[in-house]
Amino acid sequence: MAKRRYISIGPVALNIYGMTFLIFLYAPLALIFFYSFNANPINMAIWSGFTLDWYRMLFGMQPAGAAFDAAFTENPDRIYQVVRNSLIVALSASAISTAIGTATALATARFEFFGKRIYQALLFLPMIMPDIVLGIALLIFFVGAGFKLSLVTIIIGHCTFLSCYVYIVVSARLVSMDTALEKASADLGAGPITTFRRITLPLIMPGVLGGFLLAFIISLDDVVITYFIAGVDTQTLPLFILAMLRRGIRPQINALAVLLIVFSFVVASAGLYLRSRKT
Amino acid sequence: MSGRRAIERDRTKALTFLLSPITLLLGIFFLIPLGIAIVYSFLEPGLYGGVVWSFYPYNYGRLFGWPLGAGEEFEPLYLQIILNSLKYATLTVIVSLILCYPVAFWVSRMSGTAKNLMLFAITLPFFANLLIRIYAWLLLMRPTGTINSTLMALGVIDEPLNMMFTEFAVIVGLVYVLIPFMFLPIYASVERLDWSLVQASQDLGATPFQTFRRVILPLTSPGILAGCVIVFIPALGNFIVPSFLGGSKVQLVGNVIERQFLQARNWPFGSTLSTVIMVSVMLVVLIYFLSMRSASRKAVRKVSDHG
Repeated sequence: MAKRRYISIGPVALNIYGMTFLIFLYAPLALIFFYSFNANPINMAIWSGFTLDWYRMLFGMQPAGAAFDAAFTENPDRIYQVVRNSLIVALSASAISTAIGTATALATARFEFFGKRIYQALLFLPMIMPDIVLGIALLIFFVGAGFKLSLVTIIIGHCTFLSCYVYIVVSARLVSMDTALEKASADLGAGPITTFRRITLPLIMPGVLGGFLLAFIISLDDVVITYFIAGVDTQTLPLFILAMLRRGIRPQINALAVLLIVFSFVVASAGLYLRSRKT
Repeated sequence: MSGRRAIERDRTKALTFLLSPITLLLGIFFLIPLGIAIVYSFLEPGLYGGVVWSFYPYNYGRLFGWPLGAGEEFEPLYLQIILNSLKYATLTVIVSLILCYPVAFWVSRMSGTAKNLMLFAITLPFFANLLIRIYAWLLLMRPTGTINSTLMALGVIDEPLNMMFTEFAVIVGLVYVLIPFMFLPIYASVERLDWSLVQASQDLGATPFQTFRRVILPLTSPGILAGCVIVFIPALGNFIVPSFLGGSKVQLVGNVIERQFLQARNWPFGSTLSTVIMVSVMLVVLIYFLSMRSASRKAVRKVSDHG
């Protein structure tokens, strides 16, 4: 590797810099992880022993350690309810968006049509529009059009930007895909639907699934747009955490945060893996 | 002839089938709402949170000092908050650029598997919940937090450092939340960098600094520019970071919009501020596309002139 000689920054300095960057990314999250097992109920920055009580309290179990003020315990039924809401929203929104985004990607990758450039530009807009702008625009629209703010409005709101996200993921896959198989299938007399079902879909499936999983996590974690269009009676998990944080910092938040981070990372890892996998 | 027409008909049918869902979705639930938000910015705020459907440009007067009327007064505070938001977004861009640029070179020099793992490791935190990532910094920086407890235990400081609710805390939060957006485009252009040009520059006697400024920087500028744009835009509208890490000390335009909609219930004025952000975003994107064209042309020219 001749290029090494020509780089002016020493590899040692660059290694230290890179490692520091990784620590910057992960140390804050690791901190929550350690705190979630710290028995100290007053100051979580001071270690006073290992406990699982914060996790127990989330699930409505009796804490094994010292007696805690009941007022500080979250109602587990409430947590189940917001988790259920979040899963309903994330599953519906990511499934709908995967179908719409994939269809759009097929259209732009396999067809020439009038206004294609405009479509491609338009598909980037929801991704770059600041969340708050989209959030208040949807709020005004839903209220004005007489929609009752509910899980349905949240699902619709999420679909607007998730469809574009899936579109980008699936497009990347379609563009890099070899079209020879599709052509062969058509030459052998298969109709477009058969070719799609037997050839195109299996080949882009990892991209589609990856897009679906990443869209699922983005929806599950969305705070800002949901915040504006959820209405007063509907709460998702991130809105529940937002309310919890506004009331003050308590150790149960750490336990809830760790569970959510672990879940997000597992699903996102699967999504990132599928997205990057070669056929 | 009829066969070709049948194919043409099938093609139109397929395209209609594939494109109708996205057209309806973005038309009804994206373009129309944004359009209505702009219309709202020209309506009169009614009593108790309603609107009066009459042309009322004075929301903009309240913000910019013109046009004024109907008892609206120019409130320079809002203009100050918008300028302040632009400043925070710019600082966020600069700090994340400085952090990411060398890391992109670090990762690009790794071998296959290590490189893929590292890219994965840098992308992954983006998928942790936004609130939790901010909460982590709350834990670190508050007066009884990790940093202060550690420094006091070590005897470095006697009094807790005042980090929360400062400009510093908000910038750290914004950078932490948005950094993957900066890293990925920069990495993409560092990865494509043609090292033979760097080698040629050095062989011809350029100092490392000259090589960096004349060859490496221009060749990686498309990624830098893309990263700056997609960090700047969400930083401009973010209100969650300042509301947790900035408290009442740091008010950005997102916080004001949130309050106009959920507390003050002055939707037209909230829409006015939101329209100003929307227009700024469009301008930034437009400038990006224009300068990206000329930048890539210039980069090629520069390298062939100097290289």
